[in-house]
Amino acid sequence: MSVGIETASHKAYTEGETTGIPMGKIGIWWFLASEVMVFGGLIGAYVLFRIANGGWADQAEHVNWRLGAINTLVLVTSSLTMILALSAGRSGRHQRAANFLLATVLLGLTFLGIKGVEYSREIAEGFTPASGMFWSFYFLMTGLHGIHVIGGIVFNATLYIAAVRGTLWSEHHEDRLEFAGLYWHFVDVVWIFLFPLLYLA
Amino acid sequence: MIWVWLVLLLGAGMMVFTLPIARMPALALIFGIAAVKATLVLRDYMHLRSERMLVYAIAFVPVILALGLALVLIPDIVYRH
Repeated sequence: MSVGIETASHKAYTEGETTGIPMGKIGIWWFLASEVMVFGGLIGAYVLFRIANGGWADQAEHVNWRLGAINTLVLVTSSLTMILALSAGRSGRHQRAANFLLATVLLGLTFLGIKGVEYSREIAEGFTPASGMFWSFYFLMTGLHGIHVIGGIVFNATLYIAAVRGTLWSEHHEDRLEFAGLYWHFVDVVWIFLFPLLYLA
Repeated sequence: MIWVWLVLLLGAGMMVFTLPIARMPALALIFGIAAVKATLVLRDYMHLRSERMLVYAIAFVPVILALGLALVLIPDIVYRH
């Protein structure tokens, strides 16, 4: 009896009865939708303020676009390792999947390390959030994105530990890898827009 | 393969300002390239190519709202400046 109830509740939890989509996937997309509004509102405000205030070219020329480009490459590559982890996990190559998850975590940490170097150089040169509107937006947007990267690293590291212990590969838990991937790729998409907005424009 | 395209497009985006074109077309090109990169990630890495309509609706309604939010504020800038 209890087994039947658990099975039914699990089915209801994992797959919506009317949508046919796993509830976890709907949940992560709802979450990402709210994130679109957070970053979309912020990016919209930045673009409008920049247009309205002459472009801030004198402030924007001080960012280090080379480090920004390297970080873009790092994040794009981490998206590749994340999708390779999912692919390996689904084909039963669990050790390979764990290795790719670890690579994703390390690339995320590399991104943060490079961003830390950038921040320290900029602050040493006297550019802080109080140095002007461009720098306020720059630190706010990259800082908020960095917090999301930290969240993704924690999520992915948790999955890596579960993958090494073998608890990730049960039928009920494997979807978590896909959900973590959706979040991580979203963080990548946000950076794909932040890089030209802050470093190239 | 998608990763190769993303890296190539990253390089292309950074090369735009070396082209003999005006700033506004260059910016349009840079953000066009960024949009293509984002589309590749959304389509292939986030599997939107094979998702159901509900996921599309959840994903794109806030995009439209965010764009709308920015667009409705443009008249304010036009009138002030």
